[in-house]
Amino acid sequence: MSPSQPVVVVNDLTKTYQVPERDAGLLAAVRSLVRRRVRLVQAVAGVSFTIHSGEVVGFLGPNGAGKTTTLKMLTGLLHPTSGEARVLGYIPARRESAFLRQITLVMGNRNQLQWDLPALDSFELIRAIYRLPSNEFRATRDELIDLLEVGDLVKKPVRNLSLGERMKMEIIGALLHRPRVLFLDEPTLGLDVTMQRRIRAFIAEYNRRTGATVMLTSHYMADVEALCRRVIVIHHGRVLFDGLLSGLVEQFAAYRTLVVTLAEPSVHQVDLATFGKVIAHDGLRYTLRVPKVTTPHVTARLLAEAPVVDLVVEEPPIDDVIERVFAVEAAEAC
Amino acid sequence: MELARLIAVFARIGILNELQYRVNFFFQILESGISLLTGLIGLALVFRHTTALAGWTPAELLVVMGIYVLMSGVVQSVIQPNMVRLAQDIFDGKFDYILTKPVDAQLLVSIREWQVWRFTNVVLGLLVITAGLIWRQVELDLWQVVIFIGTLFCGMLALYSFWLILTTTSFVIVQIENLINLFEGLFAAGRWPVSIYPGWLRALLTFVVPVAFAVTVPAEALTARLSGATLALAIGVSGSLFVIARLCWRWGLSRYSGASA
Amino acid sequence: MLPMLDFYRSAMRLSMLVQFQYRTANYFYMIGMIAEPIIYLAVWNVVATAQGGTIAGYDAGAFAAYYIVWTLVRNMNIVFTPYGWEERIRSGELSGLLLRPLHPLHYDIAFFAGWKVVVIVLWLPIAAILTWLFQPALAPTWLESGVFVVAIWGAFLIRMMFLWLLGLISFWTTRVAAIYELFFAFELFLSGRIAPLVLFPDWVQALADWFPFRWTFGFPIEALIGQLSSTALLSGLAIQAGWILVGWGLVMLLWRQALRRYTAVGN
Repeated sequence: MSPSQPVVVVNDLTKTYQVPERDAGLLAAVRSLVRRRVRLVQAVAGVSFTIHSGEVVGFLGPNGAGKTTTLKMLTGLLHPTSGEARVLGYIPARRESAFLRQITLVMGNRNQLQWDLPALDSFELIRAIYRLPSNEFRATRDELIDLLEVGDLVKKPVRNLSLGERMKMEIIGALLHRPRVLFLDEPTLGLDVTMQRRIRAFIAEYNRRTGATVMLTSHYMADVEALCRRVIVIHHGRVLFDGLLSGLVEQFAAYRTLVVTLAEPSVHQVDLATFGKVIAHDGLRYTLRVPKVTTPHVTARLLAEAPVVDLVVEEPPIDDVIERVFAVEAAEAC
Repeated sequence: MELARLIAVFARIGILNELQYRVNFFFQILESGISLLTGLIGLALVFRHTTALAGWTPAELLVVMGIYVLMSGVVQSVIQPNMVRLAQDIFDGKFDYILTKPVDAQLLVSIREWQVWRFTNVVLGLLVITAGLIWRQVELDLWQVVIFIGTLFCGMLALYSFWLILTTTSFVIVQIENLINLFEGLFAAGRWPVSIYPGWLRALLTFVVPVAFAVTVPAEALTARLSGATLALAIGVSGSLFVIARLCWRWGLSRYSGASA
Repeated sequence: MLPMLDFYRSAMRLSMLVQFQYRTANYFYMIGMIAEPIIYLAVWNVVATAQGGTIAGYDAGAFAAYYIVWTLVRNMNIVFTPYGWEERIRSGELSGLLLRPLHPLHYDIAFFAGWKVVVIVLWLPIAAILTWLFQPALAPTWLESGVFVVAIWGAFLIRMMFLWLLGLISFWTTRVAAIYELFFAFELFLSGRIAPLVLFPDWVQALADWFPFRWTFGFPIEALIGQLSSTALLSGLAIQAGWILVGWGLVMLLWRQALRRYTAVGN
């Protein structure tokens, strides 16, 4: 497959849930057994995007934005209400065996492995389920064990592993059949920072080695920054942004942070405040927040008027940007 | 009357809580009805082949079944839920909160849960007992009724003590789910008078799992079978079980605080 | 076919390993279950004694044999509970199963089949104790033993299918307990669980012919304790096979609807 070939194609996808309404009282409860009143909730409201072979795409949005619903439609767990989704040319909702063999869905804090047995035993079952040839299976398994540096942990009962170690086993189990498309839903949820970094590095390496396409949701922006060049941001079931991560910052970050170090304490904080909002102050180091459009102007003024030893212009943290994206959307909705 | 006040408070909270799920009442009635019908068909099947079972007439066995239903109602609505919650609290450490309260801990853990819909079985049991007595067509004197109520309370005390012993030992030995399963299996023996069982089983149902005192003895009281000796034994065994339960509880407590220190 | 065998072999092995680790819990569970047949046995023994030793061809030894074999058949009868489906849907376990290229029914059959192997091994000492306590009259022929060995697995499969069907109701409503209890009540009487079917009135026995229940319970027991002719033994196996097919067909049919429902609603 050539690198430019589309792997995930989503066209005006929608999903509407029927949520039963419950009235108070005994009679209503009994009546609801026979006939339910329902309310319609649109979880995904017309989403379109295309992901090409080998891409690693971050799928972002607040809770309830429709991320998980979209992932479920792409993996065949949910039928779209309307619109079209194709993964590797298959219609996921048909759940064809050939399709299921080429994808995987990893959800943080979900356990697919036998709790009381070593992961190795569960891997053996996965081999049988996916009908993997023994030598190929063993090669993949050992490669993954190596990549994730789990070593002999595969021989310990899963219940005796730490949360992070268990997640690594989950990931190995999810990749044994060498899927070409990976859907990762919060794969680093609840893990400590070191473990998050390991898993991140692994996903990057896996993508590099196999050329697999990865779609990833995460609450940790560090995951997204480290792995995804491209992000798709959804909110209220709609795509707000689809493009390079740097573009997202460019488009939505309305301010810059200036870190200024002064030569002497002769200039007071009060004076600096005329350049921008002072948000932190440590000895001779000041951190200012300045609107994006005036940043060049303010920088020039600072250098001219203050005894500056060092000046660094920083983009705001990605978390702040994302928060801002949703805040803007909320304001527009009002 | 601190005790009564405390029980009343907890019962009220439990009942109010459950009243939010009133529809459960219907399903409880449905389930209890099916369960009772099953028992009745079983009785009918036995009396298709015989006229009396170990000296008990069909009407008398209906009384036995009524008491069984009533007692399982008591176990399911109060005793078992409280003990299950106790085991859970010990497991996840919430038991510490109990120990910080200025009330006797054993009392507190015994009255927290009230699964009010399960009282359906208590009412149903009383109805079945009444039906059996009417069918039997023998007048009851007041004295018999008083003794019946007395033995009923002895039975409840014995069941409660048994469960408490089970629960306090359970956090050392096995999970409570297994014990519930074991208890329910054995308690079902109470559907019939214990005199029909082989000797070793009768001893087990009398002195280990108090089925005999919970169901058979009250039934004997109502059907003019109860001897003074059995009555004395019932009171003696229930009382001893309660004392043993109390000692077990103390031992469990000292073990618990020892473990968490 | 071969990959399927490979799956069954792997899955059964896995479940045997798990269940063997849980042997204490398994034992407790099995012991808890013994009370039920002993109660029935005690009742029927008293009745038989009162009626001069036998009722409907069963004497004390035959009743003992019936209810001791009962304990094994009951264990073979335990399959994925219909009450488990609600949790299965809610916890997302079902989603995990659906992502795999294999029908979930296969997982349940394989896992419970593996479990049964452990259960049979654990049951042997229990059977020995019960035999010593109750002195059953049991002298099966080779044919009877052979049919029994096949029939307990047939019983397992029939009950697996029908409880699966029952569990699938959870996809539409969570108020299922009353339906299940009604089903289990029917099963109690029409399967031979509470008593051998010959003790029931004729019309009940006739009714039982129209349901799968007796083939999951009474049939294997009667086969081993020598209540059936050779023809009845072999035709019984054929009828079991028929019920397995009916159950399988119904499961496939309802499963498709359930899945449609699940993928429309999510969880």
